[in-house]
Amino acid sequence: MQSKTSFFNKTLFRKNLTRFWPLWGMASLLGALFPLAMLLELIRNPSRSMTPLNFTEGYYAVLTIVPVISLLYAILCAMVVWSYLYNARSVGLMHTLPIRREGVFVTNFLSGMAMMIIPYAVTGALCVLISAFYGGIDPAGLFNTILGVLGLSFFYFASATFAAFVTGNIFALPALYFLFHFLAVLLEWLLTEFASCFLVGVNSYYTGAVSYLSPTVHLMGNLGVDTTYTSSVPAYSSVYAPAELTAVELENFWLIGVYALVGAVLLALAWLLYRRRRSECAGDVVAVGWMKPVFRYGVAALAALLGGRLLYALFWEGPFQQGSYCDALPMAVCMIAAGIIGYYGASMLLAKSLRVFRRSWLGVLLVAAGCAAVCAGLRFDLAGIERRVPEAGELQRVHLYTASNNYDLSSGQDDALIEEVLGLHRAITASADELRNLDQRLEEARSRDEAYTYVWLDLNYTLASGRTLERSYSIPITQSRIGQAGTLDCLLDQLVNSEAMKAKRLHLDDPSYTVAGGGIYQYTRDNSTEYLGLSSREAAAVLEAIGKDAAAGAWGQVDWFDENHDGAYALDFSLNFTQELPDGAGTNWDTISITMRPEMTSTLACLEELGLIDRERLLTWSQYDNAIYGPGYDGAVSEGRVPANTEYAYEDPFAEENYVSPAASIGVIGGEDGPTEVFVAGAVG
Amino acid sequence: MIEVKNAVKRFDGFAALDGATISVPTGSVYGLVGPNGAGKSTLIRCLTGIYRQDEGSIRAGGQDVWENAALKARIAAIPDDWYYFMQSSVRDMMRFYRGFYPGFSMERYEKLKEVFQIDEKKTIRRLSKGMQKQVAFWLALSCMPDYLILDEPVDGLDPVMRRQVWSLVMGDVAQRGTTVLVSSHNLRELEDVCDHVGIMDHGKVLLERSLAQLQDNMVKLQVVFKDGAEEVPPELPVLHASRVGRIHTLIMRMNAEEAAAKVSAYDPLLVDAVPLTLEEIFIYELGGADYAVKDIIL
Repeated sequence: MQSKTSFFNKTLFRKNLTRFWPLWGMASLLGALFPLAMLLELIRNPSRSMTPLNFTEGYYAVLTIVPVISLLYAILCAMVVWSYLYNARSVGLMHTLPIRREGVFVTNFLSGMAMMIIPYAVTGALCVLISAFYGGIDPAGLFNTILGVLGLSFFYFASATFAAFVTGNIFALPALYFLFHFLAVLLEWLLTEFASCFLVGVNSYYTGAVSYLSPTVHLMGNLGVDTTYTSSVPAYSSVYAPAELTAVELENFWLIGVYALVGAVLLALAWLLYRRRRSECAGDVVAVGWMKPVFRYGVAALAALLGGRLLYALFWEGPFQQGSYCDALPMAVCMIAAGIIGYYGASMLLAKSLRVFRRSWLGVLLVAAGCAAVCAGLRFDLAGIERRVPEAGELQRVHLYTASNNYDLSSGQDDALIEEVLGLHRAITASADELRNLDQRLEEARSRDEAYTYVWLDLNYTLASGRTLERSYSIPITQSRIGQAGTLDCLLDQLVNSEAMKAKRLHLDDPSYTVAGGGIYQYTRDNSTEYLGLSSREAAAVLEAIGKDAAAGAWGQVDWFDENHDGAYALDFSLNFTQELPDGAGTNWDTISITMRPEMTSTLACLEELGLIDRERLLTWSQYDNAIYGPGYDGAVSEGRVPANTEYAYEDPFAEENYVSPAASIGVIGGEDGPTEVFVAGAVG
Repeated sequence: MIEVKNAVKRFDGFAALDGATISVPTGSVYGLVGPNGAGKSTLIRCLTGIYRQDEGSIRAGGQDVWENAALKARIAAIPDDWYYFMQSSVRDMMRFYRGFYPGFSMERYEKLKEVFQIDEKKTIRRLSKGMQKQVAFWLALSCMPDYLILDEPVDGLDPVMRRQVWSLVMGDVAQRGTTVLVSSHNLRELEDVCDHVGIMDHGKVLLERSLAQLQDNMVKLQVVFKDGAEEVPPELPVLHASRVGRIHTLIMRMNAEEAAAKVSAYDPLLVDAVPLTLEEIFIYELGGADYAVKDIIL
């Protein structure tokens, strides 16, 4: 007859708390420092009025960092509560006691949860007392904070508990725990890094596509405090009046609930592992039999990727590699070497012995074959990643960035342009091998003394399924190839300099964009810079004028090889836009840079009418260079306007004798919707 | 009654228990002996619920031991390396045991305090190895167990304390009918306390009998043959023979009368049957299992 099941043993619970009180006691003490600091701040500033919402904002702000605190604290709690599993003597005592494993499991888990929660409870109770004394309590905010802390504590301790039952070694526990928590982002980074080493167009930027599998990263990136302030005073009033906090929300609060559910699943898995756990595995790095090969080959794979990349960078990339892309054979050799080291390292940890070399040839062979397959697969693009160009029918939106401009194309509205973009993309993928050998192509252009440049092109497709496809290319273009129909250079030029794309660049017919303002830095003959900020109305008027110039062919033509814009005016002129993202995904910002040329009569007239420029003081960049640096300036030398050995005088504008205090004159130009700031800085006499 | 039937326990393919079978009658003291690595500690860990056997059954009082809290509440065990919490005093550990064992007797605990005379407020870590062992006995006996399972229990105890501890254990057996299973290499000591013995080797129990049966099944004869014969007649079924002067010492697997009758056929000058010690039985039994003492001269 089996005994009656008992899920909780108060003796064990009490013993856990009394044995490990230094841990939760110290954590409580550290936690109590936070309300103490808050109290001191409130005592120091007695005039500061605090409302319950202000305190809620503070609670939520703290809640956004609880994932990191809990990540670190949970593993300490797990290491003490489950420590008996890692020692043959202690596991002997615990399993000899008249209590079933579910009783030990539940009691220990609750002990650990108590250790997790006590410091938060102490800290929270003190905060609530201070809040009640200084401004009151917002019950909803407090309740949400408590729920959030409980959910996060549960998730992190459950995940640490799961890790505790996978291993039989106390030193392996934190390593395994942190690996569980960061494996996804580490692998994403490693795989994209490797892909970018071999595949043209794939970049190694961290995208966060799988960050939800690394909860701390995901929570830190998505949990946020959203506050709403209202003020009865107009925004541009010179009268100071503090805005009132009217609402506080915790963004993506639901994520905590989702992770708490994940914690419940992990806890159930931990319990299943405990039921099947063999006491004799105390001391083993991996306690679950079927996970041992996973561990051995997993460590080998990680070592091959990380170590292989490191070895390659050390021994091949600098001294021997030509071009920006990795050589497959040396990379395979480096990966195999690192992978084998990882394989034997893992085998030694599993066997708790250094004698693991006998009969290991099959494993080594598998690791080597895996490394070779990865390198070959990437080099020859067996998965078709490099060649992948989506079909027009599967697209929702296309975002394009090139020539310092952003373009947004929507399926259904910009189908012709999307087809052009896809045509360009296909041409790029067809020229992948050529792009891989950029140096060779540019060397040819150099030998012909031909103008050339690199153009950066980002393509970001949003597919109908909601997934995204991102590619980035550095495309070398030359003057002669732009004129050759069908070449990559020509296709790119035709696309960017088409009338439709010029209009797109100004976001003229796109209702999702709103011009928000702008700014002009005007470079003057006396080597000073004037800044003029544009209000939204001024910016809208200027934008309309630019549109007219564009329609008249006076603006918008990208000259790929005129990097210095010598014929343009010495102005840094930009317009800022806000973009409402689709599906309520938030707001985006975009800034377009306008190169002002003398032929842009509408825009010049508009700027003059608004009082933003003084046409008589306008200089072109060439005039500016001559005025400031004299005729011997390098820019002029490179264009052949002056002999190469001409000496020129350079006057350091920041030299003591030339320096005039910044903001030598400051003025304000009035506008209907607010002031336009004018700063004149660094004027040299 | 403790019953182990065909228990198998493997560690990474190595069978520490390979079909072990024992039967410990209720109220008996059962000595489990065997060479190092025979599987005694593994069997004890299975009996106390630490290990789960891969095959076979392990039962006490007719119930499976594994995950049986009610049964384990009646079993007290003292392993060879008893575990206590690092900062705990005897009193702390007593509270811990009392919280788990419903039969824990404070009255007994207080009485045993006088026997062991250890400061119960002192941290166990600070006590000597022998005193720690005494604490283990103190707590185990206070649990008032029906089954007491001991692995090398008196290692580290001084001779007086050994006698004291055995006296307490034997008192429990006599008064409460406690069933005791004890594993030890100290055969001399086991001989004094055990009424049943099982000999283990290579994960199997080679034999188990009551001590009386065991001693009755094997005999040591001291024989002086006529004419001072140097060789033992080859027809005699002798396990082991040795000679000092004219006296032959013969170990034979049969009872004393039967052995004397066989030897008498050779008309010896002297035949004297001497009872074997447990140690001798152990050595000669295992000698048949390729574990004989080798005459090695270095």
